[in-house]
Amino acid sequence: MTGLEIALLGAALAVGLAGIGSAIGVGIVGQSAAGLVTEDPDKFGQTLLLQALPGTQGIYGLLTGFIIMQRVGIIGETLLELTVPEGYAFLMAAIPIALVGLLSAIYQGRVSASAVGLIAKRPEELGKGIVYAVMVETYAVLALLASIMLLFGIPV
Amino acid sequence: MPIDDTAYAYAVGRIRALEARLLDQNRFDRMIDASSAEEVLKMLTESEYASSFGELSNIHDFETILSSELRHIFDLLETITPWPELIAIMALRYDVHNLKVLFKARYLDIKSNLLIPVGTCPTGKMVQAVAEDDFRDLPDRLRIAAEKVNEDFLVNHDPQVIDLILDQALFEELISRAEKANVPFLKGLFIRQIDLINLKTLVRVKNMGFGREFFKKAFLPNGNLSFDQLGGSIDEPLESLIVQLGMTEYATLVDEGIRDWLDRGTASRFEKLADDYITAYLKKGKWMPFGPEPLIGYLWAKEVELKNIRLILVGKINKLPAEAIRERIRDAYI
Repeated sequence: MTGLEIALLGAALAVGLAGIGSAIGVGIVGQSAAGLVTEDPDKFGQTLLLQALPGTQGIYGLLTGFIIMQRVGIIGETLLELTVPEGYAFLMAAIPIALVGLLSAIYQGRVSASAVGLIAKRPEELGKGIVYAVMVETYAVLALLASIMLLFGIPV
Repeated sequence: MPIDDTAYAYAVGRIRALEARLLDQNRFDRMIDASSAEEVLKMLTESEYASSFGELSNIHDFETILSSELRHIFDLLETITPWPELIAIMALRYDVHNLKVLFKARYLDIKSNLLIPVGTCPTGKMVQAVAEDDFRDLPDRLRIAAEKVNEDFLVNHDPQVIDLILDQALFEELISRAEKANVPFLKGLFIRQIDLINLKTLVRVKNMGFGREFFKKAFLPNGNLSFDQLGGSIDEPLESLIVQLGMTEYATLVDEGIRDWLDRGTASRFEKLADDYITAYLKKGKWMPFGPEPLIGYLWAKEVELKNIRLILVGKINKLPAEAIRERIRDAYI
């Protein structure tokens, strides 16, 4: 593989894995919410909010992918001639958000689905349910931060 | 567990909404304090049961409504469970109930209007099976047990064997299916039910003055309490049993329930406490966000709720004092 190809593999993993995580997470909450809304259609709005939470990891992955594309010149005018070590540097920079995005989105989905159960009984406690789910978000944000700092630190 | 626990997400979401509509202790209290059965009925038509009890013309037909409610719960769980075997396992108890009713109708000439339309085998088919001695639609253990009941009864003419043989087969089947499915929560439920039945058998055997040998025959294996633990105290006073089980989780149940049973000669307090004990165990299902536990818990919650409604209606129809009804009312799941 050329350096450029390795860098693009990094972009693909960031977008792909974080996206898979979000799809699974949002999927779990969606099922749980559909169960609740079958019995109680008024809770649609509240459950939608909870369902959206595990979706952010996919966005973080896409953002990281974009930065890689922009830095290597896929987006823009000139395509960089990357050496193989430079390519690996981009791949490694993508790993934090790829892995943490994948897993944190799934776990956030589980917490959000539990929060769906919470608002089934206590709709007024939606805020607390969201707080629990957002705690998981912290680690996705930290991973995104690490990936971005790594990307901008690569001297090409 | 046979499948990924998040496969239960939809089912649990739906159960959570349904749990919120279970009748709570407050509402039961109000029903108990009602002045008549008609007033209880009126309260029921203002609850989750509005549509079903609304159609009731004669109050004495309430049993039909309760059993159709039970059927309705099973239908609902069957449609939402990602694991249909679970509902089949939970329905098996009713197959055995129907079998017992039909066998007793046949051998003891008791009229059989108490079939519950919930088992895995439709009641019509079950009636036919018993009439024709053809049990091939039942699971193997139950089929063999049913055939054994027939053989044994012809020789001994002892109606007790009907319950005995069928219960033994039922719980063997339940334990083996729970093990096969690898759902410890379910197995835990059956183990506790076995223990409670064994405790009940022990007191009955004691009361009737039958000895250790008879208890051995009636004992259900696979429980937490072993035969040696229970059988030893059969010829001794109750106190020794209370001491012996003092360190187990059945301590209060034995101390309060069995003592009351022996004092008053009725098992109603014990049975209430036994049901409450199972409720307390299954309540864990309320906090599980995924998995089969909430379904198992909700089914039990509804069974108990229907039992409470029956207790209240029967009590009111027979004009029992409120306190007599209240002490038999089971704890609510919520």
